[in-house]
Amino acid sequence: MLVLIKSLIQIGFLLVFSCLMNQLASWLPIHIPGSILGIIVLFFLLQTKIIRLEWVDLGAKWLLAELLLLFVPSAVGIMQYKEILQHDGLRLILVVVISTVVTMACTGVLAQRMGKRKERKLS
Amino acid sequence: MMLELFGISMTVVLYWAAKKLYQHKPKVYFSPLILSPLLIVGFLLWTGIPYETYNVSASWLTDLLQPATIAFAIPLYKSFATLKKHASEIIASVLCGSVVAIATSALLAQLFDLNLRMVDSLIPRSVTTPIAMNISEMVGGIPAVTAVFVIITGIFGSQVGPAIIRLLRIENEVARGVMLGTNAHGAGTSKAFEFSAITGTVSSLSMILAAFITLGVAPWFLPVLMMP
Repeated sequence: MLVLIKSLIQIGFLLVFSCLMNQLASWLPIHIPGSILGIIVLFFLLQTKIIRLEWVDLGAKWLLAELLLLFVPSAVGIMQYKEILQHDGLRLILVVVISTVVTMACTGVLAQRMGKRKERKLS
Repeated sequence: MMLELFGISMTVVLYWAAKKLYQHKPKVYFSPLILSPLLIVGFLLWTGIPYETYNVSASWLTDLLQPATIAFAIPLYKSFATLKKHASEIIASVLCGSVVAIATSALLAQLFDLNLRMVDSLIPRSVTTPIAMNISEMVGGIPAVTAVFVIITGIFGSQVGPAIIRLLRIENEVARGVMLGTNAHGAGTSKAFEFSAITGTVSSLSMILAAFITLGVAPWFLPVLMMP
């Protein structure tokens, strides 16, 4: 029970923090989304121990573990775009599918090769 | 009040049930990100309840997406040392991956004769939703439509990723993480944590890097690709 309450408070904290970051991002002269700014600022605050890991760890764990749940309403939202999907659907899906497979293969193979070369150098 | 709360309650219950089912029988179509939206869409169409009504309370979950994205700072902080050790291969492969993702999306979309706004909306599809919508606006796409491509990419990427890993024998934990994070953002990262903690963390970092790189590269790279 205590863990649950702690997690909820920490999620609340992260929610407030993200609102602050949106505000901050809108004041900055460069174009940077609040979520990216938030990752950088939170990382920095953790590194400098201004925010302690215990303050956010439980809430973050919960959010990341149930991340897929947070995507569900957006996935349901696809139903609003029936016309686009009916008209261009097949071609759009093909672009996503082919591009994803090609890009995944490229990134995976490149990262694996670079990793192997590094290991060889070290040994 | 009851009617307002039905969206979020239904989503949580169906997600939880799908998750249990998936743990029991890990089949692709039982994946919570496929099964629960399908059931909800089916239910809404069957009862004639509009998406807006469902989304009154369900959007609270979407609102948590931003704090959840920020929460990725925590695994980054925890395994900063590991990440530093692998910095060069992570940065190089994410850079390559992001450029290939933009290029293949733009070229294929042109090849299939899709209209220009659709092409622009497709470009940022592999990065995390809030940033993808931003980029979409910058390059002239429709942010809401981009959000749809992002979610389709996430669902597809996190399902096909493990198959590609097996097929190409990607045994390196770091390489697996780079692959999933660069191409399938949060959904891929969620899958990456199923492989190992390191894979998950590398995936979180790759997701963030990919968002940065796409944000920086897409606006000037796109006109080059679109030249007749």
